[in-house]
Amino acid sequence: MAVVTGLIAMVTPETKREGASMWTFARMHAEMYGPELEAWNQQQTDPSRRVNLSLIGVQAMEQRMMSAFLAGLPSADLIEAERRNAARAFAGPLESVGFLDLTPYIERDGLMNKVNKASFLPWSKDGRIFGLPHDVHPMMMAYRADIVEAAGIDVNEIETWDDFERVMRLLLYKPDGTRRTDRYLLNMWETQIDLIEAVLLQAGGGVIDASGVPVIDSEVNARTISRIAMWTSGPEPIAAEVSFWDATGHQLMRDGFVIATFAPDWMCNYWRKEVPQLAGKMKLMPMPAWEKGGRRTSVWGGTMLGIPKTAQDPEKLWEIAKHLYLSRELAHELYTKSDIVTPVREFWSDDIYDQPDPFFMGQPKGRMYINLAPDVPDRFSSPFGAIALARTQGAVSQLCAYARDVKPQREEDLLPKAREFLAAAQRDAMRHVNRNVFFAARDSSEQSSDAAAEVTR
Amino acid sequence: MILPDRSRSVFPWLLLAPFLILVALFTITPLFGAAVLSTQQTFGPGTTRFVGLSNFKNVLADPLFWTAFKNTLIFTLGSVLVQLPLALMFAMLLNQPGVRARSFFRLVLFSPVLVGVVYVAMIFFVLFQKRTGLVNQLLHGIFPSWDIGFAWLDQYIMVALILATLWQYMGFNMVYFLAALQNVPKELDEAARIDGASWWKRFRHVTLPAITPVGSFVVLLSIIGSVQVFELPYLLLQGSTGVDNKGLTIVGYLYQTGFQSGDLGYASAIGWTIAIVLAACAVLQRMLSGRTEQQRGVKRATRGGDA
Amino acid sequence: MSMLVSKPRAIATYCVVVPACIVIALPLVWLAIASLKTSEDFFASPFLPRGDGFLGIAWDRLTLDNFRNLFSKTGFARALLASSLLASVTATLATLISAAAGYALARLHFRGKRAAMWLVLACLIVPAPLLLSPGFAVLYRLNLLDTFLGLILPAIGPAFGVYLFRQATISSVPSELLEAARMDGCSEFRIFWRVALPLLQPMIAAFMLITFLGVWNNFINPQVVLQSASKFPLAVMIAQLKDVYSQDYGLMMAGTMLSILPVAGLFMLLQRDFVAGLTSGAVKG
Repeated sequence: MAVVTGLIAMVTPETKREGASMWTFARMHAEMYGPELEAWNQQQTDPSRRVNLSLIGVQAMEQRMMSAFLAGLPSADLIEAERRNAARAFAGPLESVGFLDLTPYIERDGLMNKVNKASFLPWSKDGRIFGLPHDVHPMMMAYRADIVEAAGIDVNEIETWDDFERVMRLLLYKPDGTRRTDRYLLNMWETQIDLIEAVLLQAGGGVIDASGVPVIDSEVNARTISRIAMWTSGPEPIAAEVSFWDATGHQLMRDGFVIATFAPDWMCNYWRKEVPQLAGKMKLMPMPAWEKGGRRTSVWGGTMLGIPKTAQDPEKLWEIAKHLYLSRELAHELYTKSDIVTPVREFWSDDIYDQPDPFFMGQPKGRMYINLAPDVPDRFSSPFGAIALARTQGAVSQLCAYARDVKPQREEDLLPKAREFLAAAQRDAMRHVNRNVFFAARDSSEQSSDAAAEVTR
Repeated sequence: MILPDRSRSVFPWLLLAPFLILVALFTITPLFGAAVLSTQQTFGPGTTRFVGLSNFKNVLADPLFWTAFKNTLIFTLGSVLVQLPLALMFAMLLNQPGVRARSFFRLVLFSPVLVGVVYVAMIFFVLFQKRTGLVNQLLHGIFPSWDIGFAWLDQYIMVALILATLWQYMGFNMVYFLAALQNVPKELDEAARIDGASWWKRFRHVTLPAITPVGSFVVLLSIIGSVQVFELPYLLLQGSTGVDNKGLTIVGYLYQTGFQSGDLGYASAIGWTIAIVLAACAVLQRMLSGRTEQQRGVKRATRGGDA
Repeated sequence: MSMLVSKPRAIATYCVVVPACIVIALPLVWLAIASLKTSEDFFASPFLPRGDGFLGIAWDRLTLDNFRNLFSKTGFARALLASSLLASVTATLATLISAAAGYALARLHFRGKRAAMWLVLACLIVPAPLLLSPGFAVLYRLNLLDTFLGLILPAIGPAFGVYLFRQATISSVPSELLEAARMDGCSEFRIFWRVALPLLQPMIAAFMLITFLGVWNNFINPQVVLQSASKFPLAVMIAQLKDVYSQDYGLMMAGTMLSILPVAGLFMLLQRDFVAGLTSGAVKG
């Protein structure tokens, strides 16, 4: 045994460095914070105030974070987590959340009014906030301006989804009136759950309410998924799949296989890097609304910075966190390097966001996103979020299959089935709520929705 | 000289001691922990509540558990019923005397076993892509009507898993069957051949009984492995459970509830149901292999100091 | 004996076996080529990039950059070291402990043997995932989280190994030989070490290889137990590449390629023993 341990000690040189450790999951973030933290570290005379950044894959981070939280063990001192995996940490009762409750710090430093309210919600539970928001991630539509404008279409005529379908429809047909097989209007498909969620949220629906309970079977959800099923699987489909993350998808984007694509701010940066051929061919427009005067944006993705309860000296870490997320300098860098607009409202008036972006034919992209930022819909964290979303996606798939089968003429024809499938999904999801003694034990959901409303206010 | 009795009775325990200590520490203690956990609902160290057997009741009433059960059953049946007959077929083909380059073929067919599940997932994640994946490209090239956008990793994830596992383990099981085929009494087979017995008759009455002991062991290993399938779908689906939970397996569900949702109690209850299923399979296997050996008149004594 | 296969049957055999070998080898060939391609060429052609070189292939577009990046960007060398250490230490200890216990259960007579055997069989069917979370708690209490020891200790007392060695001892270590050695006055330890172990050599080679392979390819345990990136073995590191370098397929394939090669080499060395040993554990059902 001695030999073995000796061997291990020999090959693993003491790598422990002084200072705080920070985990991030995004290469882009690591590249951005790297130099920044280097500078920070150099300024610190006290070595314990230095920060060591490590880049960890999303799944691996979730695994390690949850293992540590469940065992009450130390993990990193600062964890930058993505929405889906951060939500895991909010599964149990408040006292079991592995992150430090940042609400007192946020109130003390007056951040509630400085930062976009909706950006706090995904990191909140029962009115307490556990993470500093990194972004707002408003969503627009990116469209192939070259094709649209050549056809003489004016996108300013589009206010609602009905307008969108009516105005754009002519692009689907060849001059002789036959339907083109290489062109669709919208990048959307039944298994893309992030987009489905974004569209549900935009319509005023969603799968989780402010108290964290699944609300899958709402009427607005039924209407929205009926429309989605018409788009993707109706007799005259206007939507098709162009995968975001692989070479095939990039090729289809270049070919103009779909005219319009949902584009949160970070997506702009992804295209800039992965599909540079689109530069100068695309423009952005607000999403079409579900009714006149309705919401013209939604949200996709999100990141927070949290301090695990086990971390030493939270005051010091809070200071670092604020520097990384709330300084004007880094907010600008966030925008120039990754096209993401800051959640700090006082920076929204900065000139940098007005600069024309050649990728989008000179549009002041930042300004356009910021104009929509206050309208970004609320979304809530819940231990049942993943289950609710998965079941909702299942219902959408069922409805699409039904639509392909019966070839409905109007979306109303799908409504009864949509309600039925969503009701079944809701029943399944509620099973998980009801067996959860910590959740079921709470007096009523009202109490907590009040608390959540408090955050919004 | 024979050693005094006392040291002879101590020595076996000395040999067994490291194993027993490790098992006590890393199997029995956690097993006990799992038993306690399965009666609790828990989220982390601070919050634990005793719920009696309601976890088990909920597991059995949980549609997601049954989705996972169904998927796992499909995978297990697919693995056992497709993979093992193929493995046996290749073993018999390579067992024919006079086939040249046997060890080369054996090596090639066996080689994927060396590739760990992480790497299998890495390779097949790219191979199974729609349009850009080699699998769809080849199938489309050979059968032009094949849909190049065939969604291996969405709707057909279980088929993809069965194929990837077939690729990885077929050769491994083939080697087992090759060994088993050495037990086939050659004279008997030859005699049957001279008597004009058909291939099927010889297979059924000579080969099959001879390979049943090893065969049932291989079946058991395959079932144990297949029922516990988790890492491959976890890696291929990048941590999700796939479209409409089509890639959710029982252990995947255990992992999801335990390590992702934080309810270790519910996860333990799921774990116990898996254990019970596997124990039933093992008992069945021992009964089965015991019966065939008795049929063949093999004395139980030859199986050593068996329990 | 007239056991040689007839010509047509031999041809039929090759007609089945050769295509099967090609199908099996294809993903590995693809992998090797993919690790040499640039991101631009990656999806442009299924195998080698087309061009105007010899055989219509652009040989000059193949590159070793992926491998260079692997070492410069990802800490591959450190992970390789971690994997080698974990796998070799675990394999050695697991084999010794299993051989000792398996031999005792097969050939020694003592009170409580039946119970011990039942314990081994029971452990065989305990599903590993059931132990994942409570096992984590045990490691926590023993202060073994985020250490190599926390990975090694739970892996070196495998019931499966004990079972295999018991079967192998029954089939290849004759009782008469042990009795003869006892008559000659050998100590029990000497009998085990000098008489039984050499006879178990194929099983030792096979089981060491199985364990080495298992540890080398193990993913979920190190992912749960280890916290610091500097300790990650290859499997964890490579699995992470997909998250962190999601667009760089060439890099991922190069990492995969280099992770498979060492075990493949080891297997070539021990191939004969491996097959013999693997089967000696199974023969008696």
